[in-house]
Amino acid sequence: MAIAEVPRFVRADGPDKVTGSGRYAADINLTGQLVAKFRYAGVSHARITKLDTSAASAMPGVFAVLTAADVPDVIYSPVVPDRRLFAKDVVRFEGELVAAVAAVDAATAQAAVDAIVVEYEDLPIVDDLEAAMADGSPLVHQDWESYAVTGDTVQRPNVASFSSIEKGDVDTAMASADHVVTSRYVADGCHALPIEPRAVVAQWEGEKVTIWTSTQVPFDARAGVCETLQMPASKVRVIVPHLGGGFGGKCGFHFEAHVAALAKAARRPVKLVFSRQEEMVAPDRRREGMIVDITSGVKADGTLVARTGWIAIDNGAYTADAAFFPQLAAMHVAGPYAMEAVKVEASLVYTNHQPSGSVRAPTAPQACWALESHTDELAAVVGMDPVEFRRANIVDEGVEGAAGQVYGEIGLRRCLDAAVGASAYGDDLPDDEAVGVAISWWPSFPGPSGAYIKIDSDGSGMIITGAQECGTGSVMTLRMLAAKELGMEPEDFQLVYQDTSAAPYDTGATGSQTLLNNGRAVVEGAREVAAQLRDLAADQLEAAPDDIVLASGKAHVSGSPDKAVSIVELAGIAAEGEMLIGKGSGTPPEYPSVSAMCVGDQGLAGWAGPQFACHAVHVRLDRETGVVRVLDVSAAHDSGTIINPVAAHGQVEGGIMMGVGQALTEGTQYGDDAKQRNTGLLEYKLQTAADAPTIRTEFIEIPDPNAGPYGAKGLAEAPNVPTAAAIANGVAKLVGTPVRQLPMTAERVWMTSEGMSS
Amino acid sequence: MSFTIATTVDEALVALGAGARPIAGGTDLVVGARHGKAALPGDLVAIDRIDELGGVELDSAGVRVGALMSHAELMTDPVIVGSYTAIADASALVGSPSTRHVGTLGGNVMNGSPAMDTGAPLTVLGATAELRSVTGSRTVSLDELWAGPGRTTADLGELLVALHLPPAQDRCGSAYVRLEYRRAMEIAVVGAAAAVTLAADGTIASAAVALAAVAPTILSVDGVDQALVGCTPADAGPVVAALASEQAAPISDLRASDRYRRHCIGVMAKRAVDAAARRADGESIAVPVNRSLGIGAA
Repeated sequence: MAIAEVPRFVRADGPDKVTGSGRYAADINLTGQLVAKFRYAGVSHARITKLDTSAASAMPGVFAVLTAADVPDVIYSPVVPDRRLFAKDVVRFEGELVAAVAAVDAATAQAAVDAIVVEYEDLPIVDDLEAAMADGSPLVHQDWESYAVTGDTVQRPNVASFSSIEKGDVDTAMASADHVVTSRYVADGCHALPIEPRAVVAQWEGEKVTIWTSTQVPFDARAGVCETLQMPASKVRVIVPHLGGGFGGKCGFHFEAHVAALAKAARRPVKLVFSRQEEMVAPDRRREGMIVDITSGVKADGTLVARTGWIAIDNGAYTADAAFFPQLAAMHVAGPYAMEAVKVEASLVYTNHQPSGSVRAPTAPQACWALESHTDELAAVVGMDPVEFRRANIVDEGVEGAAGQVYGEIGLRRCLDAAVGASAYGDDLPDDEAVGVAISWWPSFPGPSGAYIKIDSDGSGMIITGAQECGTGSVMTLRMLAAKELGMEPEDFQLVYQDTSAAPYDTGATGSQTLLNNGRAVVEGAREVAAQLRDLAADQLEAAPDDIVLASGKAHVSGSPDKAVSIVELAGIAAEGEMLIGKGSGTPPEYPSVSAMCVGDQGLAGWAGPQFACHAVHVRLDRETGVVRVLDVSAAHDSGTIINPVAAHGQVEGGIMMGVGQALTEGTQYGDDAKQRNTGLLEYKLQTAADAPTIRTEFIEIPDPNAGPYGAKGLAEAPNVPTAAAIANGVAKLVGTPVRQLPMTAERVWMTSEGMSS
Repeated sequence: MSFTIATTVDEALVALGAGARPIAGGTDLVVGARHGKAALPGDLVAIDRIDELGGVELDSAGVRVGALMSHAELMTDPVIVGSYTAIADASALVGSPSTRHVGTLGGNVMNGSPAMDTGAPLTVLGATAELRSVTGSRTVSLDELWAGPGRTTADLGELLVALHLPPAQDRCGSAYVRLEYRRAMEIAVVGAAAAVTLAADGTIASAAVALAAVAPTILSVDGVDQALVGCTPADAGPVVAALASEQAAPISDLRASDRYRRHCIGVMAKRAVDAAARRADGESIAVPVNRSLGIGAA
């Protein structure tokens, strides 16, 4: 691709981050600043019978103590508004906020938090997904019917959002099958775990508040503050210093309003910095636990004819952004396969756990793990090689998918061929080694986005964008796009970003969408500046603007490279008159139509810019202990055109490592009290650099006309989807049967191989 | 609240006598305090600059290993790697490179965790602990030293200054293996150390096995020597696995169930004996055994 002619350049934020000179939210310190601490529920489900903050308020050095009584009584959250800033009457999970304190220092703030008197009357704990959905279950939300849900959202008792995907007559199609296979897979919840625990600093100046926060979505954070504190957007400014990772855990609006309210009450700047434990318990962003039942019918020749699915997703106590999870999970249980008839139903189930929310490819790694494990079971029942079975049944150009979308040119088949071909699949391996294969898909998320581009008098460029950098590098890649349009180098551009008062709106570092949407905005803005440069150069060179070419820092007349003027010179001329300023937004790609019937539609059955992938993972099993080691991973991805290969490889490698953790070691353990038991990095086992396998990545570059700039699709989430599934299929080959729980811990693998259930 | 930097053992002992607690690498004390396990003691005496507490010295009674030897030093020390290899295996598995560089043998021993990595190797190698206080010194067996999880029988005024190891025998070898779920920043789910001496005919002349993380303290497996003497190393495997699983008294926690621990400790004990016997037979198995033989996540 032409765009990849500049494969390597220094990230704008790289030197700051590497040398330690970069500033993160926790590094912000303001004169007179106070420390914020929260009082958490500490119990999973209870009615508040007494809440007395008088002793805390009276303590020397305490400037503010807030509870639900001290902030506007607003019930918020997108789609399913079901929560308040502070618990009112009932607490529904251990990390729910009951009160907040601002004090002169951490010790005083903690002492004040401890001095708050809260008494509870226990309510029945709801922590079993199936029991929660049964008639007569205690309710997590007594008032669920009163919540002002939006769109086509369907609710039921203890179900925040229900969706189905239904195509064709599934009973008839299933009856025509030669084999029917039913499987159950159960995934534990897990965490996004950015290395930087979040921090928020708020400072008021008159009626305006400025909030420095570690969020992936500054405009969402601003909207949350405006909604809950009932303020106009013009009075709230959200700034994100460098962000120390997110992985979805910092999507959505979290504690910005609490800190702003504390700062207002205290009449001083207030700073909140989370501990690791708080980071793991309090935010409404964790990867959801899930039960997946799948039944598929296949013909003796291996043709897939019908599928039914039943999915229960652990919503936790509040809905955060999870209303779309059922539909997305249903799409992943249906999968990128062609079949006559499908019926998948999915429920987002309230429990007294920490709320779930978008973590890198929400619902997909677990649902893909279930589906692709099930797919290997289907291949076995008809006696086919699992890769051949997939080749026979996957969607392809012109083929109608599970929800009735008909695909254009897609790279799924080439991904399958490339990943399997690069792996040791089919080779003679030692009897404790195997290669497992899984395929996956993931949508791109078109949306509105904006940017300004300017070139200053010295010829230096600046991109002023609403986009947020969370480590994916996509904001950094924007410089390549501007440079290409303007015949300049990426290093010629500075970025102004992560400030809601500086730039137009962008969704933020969420849904793999920065390049897809903000890339479009930057290209459009840069083209405006390019047109200005051509006009100026045409005057200087006595040529028509259409004949001016921008390249190598110069404007020259087409066909006459020597007849040129430098962009620096043009910028100097422009600075004396009409300045070089462009703006971009543009029309987002369209969502395709689908033929499936979707109850509880959340707009995610038809996918623009669908991404496809295949991972082939070589694993080794210590048969006596059940410990699995991932030796190497061959990955192939269709994410459309790859704009920045270095960043793209980084996304795939990081996504795979996250997938290895989900597969083998990362899972939340709950006590009978519905509280998390492993809320630290000692007992919640992330993979380490020492565990990283060899990773080979191939990109199948098919420019998608209905996607981002130059046919690029998203890439941040897709690499996280099939890894656990591929590992599972390797392990199942060695054990002889699938391990039906995620993570597939050593003990679970051992128990499965011994024929024990846990 | 006080922080004293001692440059001699005597200075340190005076501070201990006055109620201070010793700190060397701080990898247990500081991390524990941060996690709310135990508050940082009010008075600390830093012992990390006391030269007398370092070094590995050969003497007539065997080898004296200074309490301040870091895990990073132990895993490459020629005497330890050559003759007391299980200690090097264990040291190489502790935490991360940074914890291994600041964490010390003395700290590992006196922290008294049943999951400590160096405890089982020291036990099978017959180590004794030299404790000093302002009133004198005494040498105790490790069995006497460890009283329970996080507890020792040392008085508050006593400082562990060295571990003493008996002279290495001909045709002897040792190894430490552990069950782990990842390759760094890990704590033993269960661990086993073995020391084996071979007779001229290749059968086992003497053997000892000790276990980590399956009892309130490091557990020395009874009856190993009697059961294994005269066995070939291959025949010894199932025997030692059964003994270890039988005698283990594991708990269920976040890392594993008691049932799984009981099974895995047998596997680890068998592998430790196998590796120790191979080393006794002259085979060079690089430290740590876990990585060399592909054990756990290796």
